[in-house]
Amino acid sequence: MRKYLARRAVYAVVTLLGVSLSIFVILRVLPGDPLVAILGVEGHARMTKEDRVRIMADLGLSAPLPVQYARWLRDIGAGELGKSFFRGDTVAELIAHRGPITAEIAVLALIVSWIVGLPVGILSAFKPNSMPDGVARTLSVLFIAIPGFWLGMLIVLALLFWFGWKSPIIIVHVWQDPWQNLQIVMGPGIVLGLAQGAYIARMSRSCLLEVISEDFVRTARAKGLREGLVVMRHALPNALLPVITISGVLLGFVLGGSVAVETAFGVPGLGRSLVTAVIERDIIVVQNLVLLYAVIFVVVNVLVDLSYAWLDPRIRYS
Amino acid sequence: MSDHASDPKPTVDRRTFLKRVGAAGAGAAIAARLPFPGPAAAQDATVRPDPAAKRGGTLRYAVHNAPAHFDVHQSGTVANIGPQSPMYDTLLRRSPKDGQTIIPDLAQRWEISPDNKKYTFHLRKGVKFHDGADFTADDVKATYDRIKNPPKGVVIPRTPLFATVSDIVVVNPHTIEFRMSEPRPKAYMLGAFASGWNIIVRKKTLDDNQGNLRQVMNYPGTGPFRHVSRKDKEIWIMERNPDYWNKGLPLVDKLEIYHFLPFTPELGAAMLSGRVDYARLLDPVTWRKAKEMPGVTAANFNQSVIQAFWTNTQKNKALADPKVRRAIHLAMDRHTLVEVVKDTAPMQVGGFVYPFHEMSTPRAELEKKLGYQRDIKPAVQEARRLMKEAGYAGGLKNLDFVVRDIPTFKLWAVAIQAMLKEHLNIESNLRVVQTSVWFDEAQAGSFDLAISAIVSTLMDPSDIFSAWYGKDGPQNYSRWTNPVFHDLASQIEREVDDAKRRTMVRKAEDILENDPPLIPVAYEQIYDAWYNKVKGQNPSTFFGIYDVVRWDNVWLG
Repeated sequence: MRKYLARRAVYAVVTLLGVSLSIFVILRVLPGDPLVAILGVEGHARMTKEDRVRIMADLGLSAPLPVQYARWLRDIGAGELGKSFFRGDTVAELIAHRGPITAEIAVLALIVSWIVGLPVGILSAFKPNSMPDGVARTLSVLFIAIPGFWLGMLIVLALLFWFGWKSPIIIVHVWQDPWQNLQIVMGPGIVLGLAQGAYIARMSRSCLLEVISEDFVRTARAKGLREGLVVMRHALPNALLPVITISGVLLGFVLGGSVAVETAFGVPGLGRSLVTAVIERDIIVVQNLVLLYAVIFVVVNVLVDLSYAWLDPRIRYS
Repeated sequence: MSDHASDPKPTVDRRTFLKRVGAAGAGAAIAARLPFPGPAAAQDATVRPDPAAKRGGTLRYAVHNAPAHFDVHQSGTVANIGPQSPMYDTLLRRSPKDGQTIIPDLAQRWEISPDNKKYTFHLRKGVKFHDGADFTADDVKATYDRIKNPPKGVVIPRTPLFATVSDIVVVNPHTIEFRMSEPRPKAYMLGAFASGWNIIVRKKTLDDNQGNLRQVMNYPGTGPFRHVSRKDKEIWIMERNPDYWNKGLPLVDKLEIYHFLPFTPELGAAMLSGRVDYARLLDPVTWRKAKEMPGVTAANFNQSVIQAFWTNTQKNKALADPKVRRAIHLAMDRHTLVEVVKDTAPMQVGGFVYPFHEMSTPRAELEKKLGYQRDIKPAVQEARRLMKEAGYAGGLKNLDFVVRDIPTFKLWAVAIQAMLKEHLNIESNLRVVQTSVWFDEAQAGSFDLAISAIVSTLMDPSDIFSAWYGKDGPQNYSRWTNPVFHDLASQIEREVDDAKRRTMVRKAEDILENDPPLIPVAYEQIYDAWYNKVKGQNPSTFFGIYDVVRWDNVWLG
């Protein structure tokens, strides 16, 4: 197990180095001048060549690219994620302040996806080709197809025009006011959760259909067990592995999807910060947030793999 | 300290009396002409609290409050002026009553020498910065020295306004003189001193930070509100400055300034749901909805921005020909272009000078000219004749049309592309790029056609004649030159007689009509809305969003 963990850790480091190098190079190669956002249009127009050289040096952008990359890795190693080009706010503060909101949205989305997806999948699997199955499958396709940001915008507009209501406009953490906090994260969490729930419903349906035709399920029924026990004790645990795998992958989608959905709901989470940083060409913030997302994705995948051994006694890592 | 308590009692002699009557008369004349602003200045009109005003409460104001940096002098965006202005004062200011009349601020009164080459400001006594330090003429000198001659690595867009200021002399701690190498029109100079960008900063603050305040969030001002806290891209909280020199102001105890990008649905939703009391830069759909809401007031006003279309005269031989550029100018159906974006951003038709400026061609007259008429057939006919005369009757092909990635420009680009194709057989390829890329491309001249927006500090024609149309103007992206125009612009800059200046400006407009340095697409307007409990300010007659953002006279009913 330790050997396996060590090997996964090495793979993870290599993957993250690859991600960091890619994002670093892409951000430097893409056209666009951060000084437009920093100085404003008029200031940028009046900037002399000497001013440019000095300001770029102040921002740490005039050093050779390998030096800039090495400095970034060194800062990460030292636990310093650097400062935004703009306003001088530190990226660590940004993550500490906004990260919890995005994390709550992701967790809520995961919970919603399981609460909605699993029962629907079970119902579909045990009543295949019935009307409830047809409705469930249609809704699954619908929620997979509908873009989250569009659904989010519709919800925001409907709440506004029908009830004159909008969620709080600044961050309120769960430890400050849980009710206000829930109002902020509820919308994006549900929208993202419904889309992921649709995947889970489809995956659990197909896995259960496969499992319920197995001999051990037939035996359980032959013993006279109630259908509920057959499902909960025998069929479901054996069908869950692929669902857990897809949940890990979906968490990546939730993080990616939060970029658009947070913007649609006007929630000031990390996703929205990433959008703003891209628009402002704030490359220090962009590269650190992308790397953070990559770290979360890699860690979740390792945890999913480890959970297999816990869920299925036949699986052993050596 | 009251306005007059510590200052020497003003003696009203005959000259002062006549001066004040003249100023008041000019103010009244200008007010009668609103919304066309002029050089009105009223030295005795320091902002006073409304006698009916109630004190206290929290004003929740929504505006773009995420500046790229905190240095107001170096900025050009509402993201700085919007949240930071309430913490600072300027030498002079525009009256919050009409947004135009120039009134005293930290300078209690001023004198202009008969040859217009010396401006003397008498500063208020007893004014304190938020850190408790006394305000003196040294702070004014340090501020204006920096604006006029920015230190290395500091770029201040307002520097050219003070190009003719040769010396800034501290006469005594409360008197300062600006001596000029040559005269400039009074309206131009007073407008520059009253610009909301030119906030007075403490000399020590500048010295301590090597003249660069980009990353200094809370540097002390003398303004009506003091910094309390700030969460990036969320909220900036300020409290009433209890030591404000203008006793009785400000009227509200607390300002909560919420961050919302302009024209966004989030801003509209915050306003319509009552999460904020006052919203600036609303999108037209929300604004129209707000206008119908009971208990809400909505206002629109002019903004110091031109939405323009550039033709690169150096990259493309055809576009160097004034006839071709005039033909493109005439082929634009401006009224349709305004209509195209009516749900995205509020716009109005205009020529080469702000259409609401008193020196520009009046709107009724402008709309009789080719290129501005509602029926564009005569203009298109003339445009085709010009193309034929220039040798391009068959049109032009494969022009690179660079479009700034903002909804209005994307909508316009498609419409303009179709108009040019249909009217002049000019074919172009649209290339939509991010804002930062657009300005890179524009400055490098990597385009044939381009569309975007640019701003000016002052509405005065001389400011835009040098920045937008000047030979080396920083925003002359077409790389246009016209020696006759440049000579005339230089004379206009020096002319101190308003009547003569107006005639010259009209002459300049004629030159620009026939040899366009850029093609004006439209002029922006601003949409604000607020709940009726917010009293004391209505920006309907304001020019732009950069000069009257203090909130000192606003109260909650």
